[in-house]
Amino acid sequence: MKDFTINKPQFLDFLNRLKDSFDIYGPSKTQKGFYDWTPIEQIDEFKIGDGIPKSSIKTFLFPQPETLFEFSTNSKDPAAYRLKEPDVKGKKTILFGVRPCDARSIVLNSMPYVEDVYFQKRLEQIFVFGLLCKEGCSTCFCNWVGGSPVGTDGMDVAAIDLENVYVLRAVSQKGEELLENAGLSEAKKEEKEAFNELVEKSSRQTQKDTSNILKSKDLFDLYNAPFWQELSDACINCGTCTFLCPTCYCFDIQDEVLKGKGRRIRYWDSCMFPLFTLHASGHNPRGDKLKRVRNRFMHKLKYFPDRFGPISCVGCGRCIKECPVSIDIRQVLRQMLEI
Amino acid sequence: MSTINQRIEQELIGVAKELLASKKVEALIGYKRGTMPMTMTPFVARSSEEAEKLCWNSFCVLNLANYLPQVLRSFEPPRRPNDPPPKGPLPKVGIVVTGCWSRNIVVQIQENQVERDRIVIIGISSRGMIDKKKVHERVGGKEVTNVEEEDNRLIVKGPGFSKEINRWDVIRDNCKSCIHPDPSIYDILIGDLKGDRQISNRFSQVEEIESKDIDERWQWFMDEISSCIRCYACRNACPLCYCPTCFVDDSRPQWVGKSKEQVDTALFHILRAYHCAGRCTDCGSCESACPMGIKMRILTKKLQKDVFELYGFEPGLNLDEPLPLSTYRLEDPQDFILTDIKMGDKK
Amino acid sequence: MTKVQEKDWEPKIIAFLCNWCSYAGADLAGVSRYQYPPSIRIVRVPCSGRVSPNMILDALKNGADGVLVSGCHPGDCHYISGNLYARRRFALLKRFLEFIGIEPDRVNFTWISASEGEQFAKVVTEITERVKRLGPATRLVKEF
Repeated sequence: MKDFTINKPQFLDFLNRLKDSFDIYGPSKTQKGFYDWTPIEQIDEFKIGDGIPKSSIKTFLFPQPETLFEFSTNSKDPAAYRLKEPDVKGKKTILFGVRPCDARSIVLNSMPYVEDVYFQKRLEQIFVFGLLCKEGCSTCFCNWVGGSPVGTDGMDVAAIDLENVYVLRAVSQKGEELLENAGLSEAKKEEKEAFNELVEKSSRQTQKDTSNILKSKDLFDLYNAPFWQELSDACINCGTCTFLCPTCYCFDIQDEVLKGKGRRIRYWDSCMFPLFTLHASGHNPRGDKLKRVRNRFMHKLKYFPDRFGPISCVGCGRCIKECPVSIDIRQVLRQMLEI
Repeated sequence: MSTINQRIEQELIGVAKELLASKKVEALIGYKRGTMPMTMTPFVARSSEEAEKLCWNSFCVLNLANYLPQVLRSFEPPRRPNDPPPKGPLPKVGIVVTGCWSRNIVVQIQENQVERDRIVIIGISSRGMIDKKKVHERVGGKEVTNVEEEDNRLIVKGPGFSKEINRWDVIRDNCKSCIHPDPSIYDILIGDLKGDRQISNRFSQVEEIESKDIDERWQWFMDEISSCIRCYACRNACPLCYCPTCFVDDSRPQWVGKSKEQVDTALFHILRAYHCAGRCTDCGSCESACPMGIKMRILTKKLQKDVFELYGFEPGLNLDEPLPLSTYRLEDPQDFILTDIKMGDKK
Repeated sequence: MTKVQEKDWEPKIIAFLCNWCSYAGADLAGVSRYQYPPSIRIVRVPCSGRVSPNMILDALKNGADGVLVSGCHPGDCHYISGNLYARRRFALLKRFLEFIGIEPDRVNFTWISASEGEQFAKVVTEITERVKRLGPATRLVKEF
């Protein structure tokens, strides 16, 4: 596959040319001062900040709320009481500036969602324009959990930042088709070599993938470990970590009916919320903090790898940065590895 | 030369070890160092050895009174929902508090969430806590790897830079407008009491919004909550939000939808702020906990201002003064009531 | 919607009336044949102290153009002090809603006793006029 190159100042124009056939989102500074996904119409100066945007890309694959079907309860309506699927937009969506951790989360989320019709439909509609990382920040730990700063899992096109230009390389069939027809100039030999060198240098760093070690540990030893008490003392059971996490995928479904119209929506749910495992009888098997906190980490670091293979974490570090009480998943990982 | 906070920390560890070793308390709620710079993690020390980990500095922003009812209950024998509370001397719990947190404990005692004789309160007069978001802004969003705290300034270091910041420039908004830094209730005092502060315009943030016209205010409110993801960090960090079933989890009737649609989110914030009317001590935990930078403290500050103007009440200062919404006076102001409409009067 | 363009748009106002005074007053207005606009939908509550802000906002969420809460005069409450607690609650709520940008004329509070039938009719007429001037409610209305 050929590599292409584009000058940084012209990148925004290049994307704007694609606006007719795609909805385009990229990381941009919001009013509140942090970087988050913004539609391209609102980006006038192109600056992908260091680090990652505040929300993960699961907002595009798994929006909150997502309408599953609509119906009318108005007896005068001829189509009353029949379920109607909502119109999913015809346009495809490009997400640019997606880091390898976020892109890898698509692969991880597809595992439990392999039969989820809504997720799969949205997956077909998005186009991931990734940006590889040259350096991580202090909260990144992607190589501990099976990822890599130059990984291309989940991307359609991978780009790297070379001072004045971006070098673009197609990763998937979709990516190749887009780049071939985009009218970009082909990358020079030294640019291609710089790309390859960066990838090789990052891969040479020690891979500390811990999923095999965790899979080999006894489940009940981890479950009964003494460190959960101190960890859960601090937790306030909010949903911050779960909602910002790219690989947390739990949801709840509800019908909303108002004035003769109704819809069934699904919205994000969190294992930290009190209603999560509340039975209709009133009994809650995970009624206290310790059980909930332990469940979340055990699911991501033990139950998911036991069932699907990789750890359900991409090492993006959002939970570490945003947790109000600074619970650190890396510390949990270390403590679990020591058992 | 140690700083004020370091001296307080040493004294605190000494007091905590003594309390835990002599079994005067079964547990002590305090803070320990977090893994990232400028972060502190709430911590429950259950033995004299664990008390060594206790810390105190200017980054202790979350209200520890939030944990008190739960920790107290964890030391009671298990009981079913309708059983009467257990009798007899129950284990005590210690807690470290500053100004606003101690006022929350007073409110908790008044609302029967904690019993005064089961808690041992270690009070520290607050010098104000630092808002780490402001520090990040001051260094232009660059990554911070180390922060050294001195009495009146911070030395912030990161890859390729080192910056000195004046402490008062990055103090939290609620600490800036606080007039009661001393703990209003305590058993053991560490450090000195400072007395009330004189601030001429402590409601300035609220007045700024009040001066806008009604459409601008609605626009401000909508913009402020537009980034809300309904994680409920604000609600869970708040010591006043202890309802076993929060109104957002009510399904019959469902007051507030669960998704992050605008109207539902607006209703959540309005009602949550309103439920704190007359009880909120402006500790700022809600704003500090919010991952999306929403300034919901301004809503509760507005209610604080109204309660002060209408009923002359400030929560948490006096155990004997009843809370404003659970009492009344016959002469309460009622200028909001539509007065008699005279016949033929058209406004 | 084309609600504003229809010249004869009638607002929908939800009225929470306390059973012992205001509801009886509304009854008296009907019996005495006092005319008032048909814009109000009455919800009978035992006391104005029972009305919580959740309910008022729920009415706005469901599309009410205005809300009226009416109780006994202070000192006359059937439950002695229900309306006195309510007075404090509503004072704060009214100021708060105005602060966040809900037009003040949308949410109204009155004291109407069981003998004030004419008063009730006048209050409803007045409130309907005010809400009509504001137009249909668009803020805090849930739609999908």
